[in-house]
Amino acid sequence: MTTPLEKPDLCALAEDGRTLSLRASRCAACDGLSFPPAPYGCPLCGAAPDRVAEERLSGRARLLEFITIHTRVAPGLRPPLVVGEAEIAPGIIEEIELGVPEDRLALGMEVQAVPARIERDDVESLAIRFVPVADLEGGA
Amino acid sequence: MSAVLKDLRPVYVLGVGMHRYQFASDTPYIAMGLTALRAALTDAGIEFPAVQSAWFGTTGLGMAAGRILFRHIGSTGLAVQQVENASASGSFAFADACLEVASGRAEISLALGVDKYGDQKRAVLKEGINRLSDTAHVPLVKYALLCRTLKREKGLAAEDLAGVAVKNHNNAATNPFAQFQKPRTLEQVMASTRVAGDLTSLQCTPRGEGAAAAIVVSEDAMRAHGLDRSRAVRVVSSTAGSETLPVGREPGSVAAARAVALRTYAEAGIAPADLDVVELHDAFSIEELLYTEAFGLCPPGEGHLYLRDGRSAVGGDCAINSSGGLIAQGHPLGPTGIGQIHEVVRQLRHENGPRQQPGAETGMAHMIGLGSVAIAHVLRRE
Repeated sequence: MTTPLEKPDLCALAEDGRTLSLRASRCAACDGLSFPPAPYGCPLCGAAPDRVAEERLSGRARLLEFITIHTRVAPGLRPPLVVGEAEIAPGIIEEIELGVPEDRLALGMEVQAVPARIERDDVESLAIRFVPVADLEGGA
Repeated sequence: MSAVLKDLRPVYVLGVGMHRYQFASDTPYIAMGLTALRAALTDAGIEFPAVQSAWFGTTGLGMAAGRILFRHIGSTGLAVQQVENASASGSFAFADACLEVASGRAEISLALGVDKYGDQKRAVLKEGINRLSDTAHVPLVKYALLCRTLKREKGLAAEDLAGVAVKNHNNAATNPFAQFQKPRTLEQVMASTRVAGDLTSLQCTPRGEGAAAAIVVSEDAMRAHGLDRSRAVRVVSSTAGSETLPVGREPGSVAAARAVALRTYAEAGIAPADLDVVELHDAFSIEELLYTEAFGLCPPGEGHLYLRDGRSAVGGDCAINSSGGLIAQGHPLGPTGIGQIHEVVRQLRHENGPRQQPGAETGMAHMIGLGSVAIAHVLRRE
């Protein structure tokens, strides 16, 4: 049985099988791009849901900042945990979880969403983690 | 043109009271709430039956918490309404009480904030939309990320962040209502448990519980009841807003906080330089530096210099968080915004003991709540 995605509303396995594409929304009324996707209508202009359609993003992002979280700041989190902010599409900045320690990261670095196997309450799933693009190109 | 508070009849805070903020305990919420309420009634010189309406700020107590509490001080038939707006619940309860008196619907109204820790539920978890990071709804993480950027871009030192906590813990050390009442050194703050990025535990608000109350009245009420108006503090503006679409990496909460501060100055007819005391949302040390700038107390990018030069200390240009703020007085949610009013009122009456800001005449209480929502009140001794 294939391992399910932890957050299927946000991502899909890319054709290469090694990376994740992200599921964004494009509004036909204002042409605006939204992430996370907009099932209730366009958050930019207020258009009804029937004007909003899915648009895939490559899952590649530019890393703007990153830190390590040392304590359990929310239920379910297992520190240490590296989080960052990244531009996942022009003008769209999202908080992300990184799949490598802080010392392997640099500001402005290109990172890519990849599936990472996690286990929560004895259930395995594929979580969204971002890793340096260079790691993937190196065949890691 | 829509009206602002100042266009309506004058409204005054006549009594304030608190139950000390504390870590989770077995103290019933009713005991905490009544302690704060009785203190506020005594302070105002009013008996409970004179109170015509009550706005009850809470985030976690459950349905009808206010009426159940009032049973134990008198079933007078007063109007009771519960107000929930996350961290800003108490501030919004206070806004409603002020508006009710200013509009003429009541002569004497009450804002009471009470919370116990642990029962809160967040609607964002029912939004049905995931986020890339499981930390996306944890404000601490957003601010810790911003700390790192500001250190790099503005020369902010780790000592500057810790310095906010040192000032606020030292303020709280002489505040009998504060959750933390220990003076702290820079070394102690910096050596406390690392939480996220550069933030340490003593730079973050504690979890807790408590209560705070404020009684607001009209001029007619003071005349009719023969009340001592020399201790009345006028509420000159009451202004609320919420986030707009974020621009760049500035948290939406900071933009909303700025917009509401600027609007409330205009509504009160003051400039930032007129403020002698400000209580603001320092859930994390970096926030105080951001809001010092956003509120126009210093030029953009100089919040840490304002702190370093002692201008935000008691005795400085504008005493910021003389109560100890959320970091040290505490942040039990429902009461927090009313606890801010408590501190500002005592400052403006010149009754604040060792934390008295000399010559204080004008103050602001400014709060943020999840969402984000923002709200500010300017108070003045007339």
